[in-house]
Amino acid sequence: MSEITRKGWVVPVLLLVLVFAVAPFTLAQFGKGYFFQVANLVLIFSLLAVSLHLVTGVAGLLHLGHAAFYGIGAYVAALMGTDLKLGFLWGLPAAGLVAALFALVVALPTMRLVSIYFAVATLAIGQMINTVLLNWVAVTKGPNGVMLFSGIKLFGFAVKGPLAVYFVVAVVVVASIWVLHRLSHSYYGNALRSLREDDQCADAMGIDTVRLKIEVFTLSAFFAGLAGALWAYTTGYVSPGDFNFSNSILILAMVVVGGLGSLPGAIVGAVLLILLPEVLRGLGDLRNVMVGLVMFVSILFLPKGLFGEVSALAFVRRNLGVKWGAAPSEREVGWR
Amino acid sequence: MSLLEIENVTRRFGGLVAVDDVTTRVEAGELVGLIGPNGAGKTTLFNLISGFTALTSGAVRFKGAAIDGSKPHVIAARGMSRTFQNLRVFPNMSVFDNVSVGSVGAMGQSAFAAVFGRRGRSDAISARTWEALERVGLAEQSEELAANLSYGKRKYLEIARALAMRPDLLILDEPAAGLNDSETAELARFIRTLNDDGLAVMLVEHDMNLVMGICSRVVVLASGRKIADAEPAVVRADPAVLEAYLGVDE
Repeated sequence: MSEITRKGWVVPVLLLVLVFAVAPFTLAQFGKGYFFQVANLVLIFSLLAVSLHLVTGVAGLLHLGHAAFYGIGAYVAALMGTDLKLGFLWGLPAAGLVAALFALVVALPTMRLVSIYFAVATLAIGQMINTVLLNWVAVTKGPNGVMLFSGIKLFGFAVKGPLAVYFVVAVVVVASIWVLHRLSHSYYGNALRSLREDDQCADAMGIDTVRLKIEVFTLSAFFAGLAGALWAYTTGYVSPGDFNFSNSILILAMVVVGGLGSLPGAIVGAVLLILLPEVLRGLGDLRNVMVGLVMFVSILFLPKGLFGEVSALAFVRRNLGVKWGAAPSEREVGWR
Repeated sequence: MSLLEIENVTRRFGGLVAVDDVTTRVEAGELVGLIGPNGAGKTTLFNLISGFTALTSGAVRFKGAAIDGSKPHVIAARGMSRTFQNLRVFPNMSVFDNVSVGSVGAMGQSAFAAVFGRRGRSDAISARTWEALERVGLAEQSEELAANLSYGKRKYLEIARALAMRPDLLILDEPAAGLNDSETAELARFIRTLNDDGLAVMLVEHDMNLVMGICSRVVVLASGRKIADAEPAVVRADPAVLEAYLGVDE
């Protein structure tokens, strides 16, 4: 039997050093809470983009209501924190689970729809959820939103200061993206890609296509829910406007600009589309035009994205994959 | 017990009877050809067997168990894999990833196992994928996107993907369509070697030479009905077959 060698610890270690040492150290030099807020936003939207990447980029289901599940997570965490006095350690998993539960209920009837019909169904569901957040005043406080002052407490210790909060957000986001990485870069991920390519053909390969679509939609909503809880605890305030259709489109734009089907691309897209408006703050309202222009030009010249699927998969395989001894030549192929 | 038993299978589309009371079987290790003029119901019969189209009446049994009414993925996972008439590979996936879908379809990998599972299962899927790639001679192009392969190679890719499922029965829908004579001959030899290794194969084909050359038994359909079911030599001389294929006035 052939030998398989585990390889590629360099890139993961570099990424961890970047997120947990270089970035916080640099931000601390500026000594301002605002920079940490932006960094948290980058992390939260990276998680949103990567979770949408699994559904839209990998499984090929055009999902236009992702922000609604993000909103469910945010409201669950915020309402638990204020009304039930259940803190971060309860709110975080509950946010994910409730968002996933909603997604499961939604997925059961819609997953038999194809292409554009599915997209319209998710659009409608996103709007419905947003309307409920806006108008169910007794529970969601309506357009006033929910203030969450309690902050993050871990096992009785209050997490104080922007640096500590950043670390909590980074740990949750990195762990979540690691799970999503394992899902999209595995044989399970290949089965998801086959749905995107030709789901009837995937059926003939023994793949339960409907079940797989329901699974991936639910899993993705779980991580959107976690992102929502992080948003609620980092900003201390949630309101329906943060989870409307334009946010779903923003997340979708991150996935498309980065490269459909590419996990690193989704992160690149999120970093770009969060940082760009902040960097261009000096331009006033013109910055939104600039951001639009960057998106337009990048899609025009790089329709496969800034970090397209083919190069992203090759990159991940080379740096995180396995070397398969039976391969003719020394090329790295196969997922572990 | 035959590997595949098709009993009085009928399929109507509105007023049209696409497959009309067909009864036949495939034995383990057999190489059966299914021929007939255009519109004879060959592909419909394939879709009935593989679960893509529901039967109007009749029964299909595979390895002794009734499979009519089962979903295609259930039938596939039981050990019947198929190719499609108009070449369906996954164009934006690499050759290796294409074939791995067959392996993972047959072996299964849950989301939980993909994240937290031990490596044994993944390695077994990789091994099976390599084996199928080497079998069809595409191992060297494993990293190529399927869309970039030549037409002929994509045919072999589709077969490799089906072989990765390690099926008991392989059903091929017009494997030689679009190939020239020498490519067809090469494909015929390849199908023959698969069968020599004990794999039962059923193929639909227009190319009479291919079918007559390699099949041990030939089933002929015309207008949805079975008109012949015998060895190639017998079928070739059958007046009903000649009439269906060539017309009467000769």
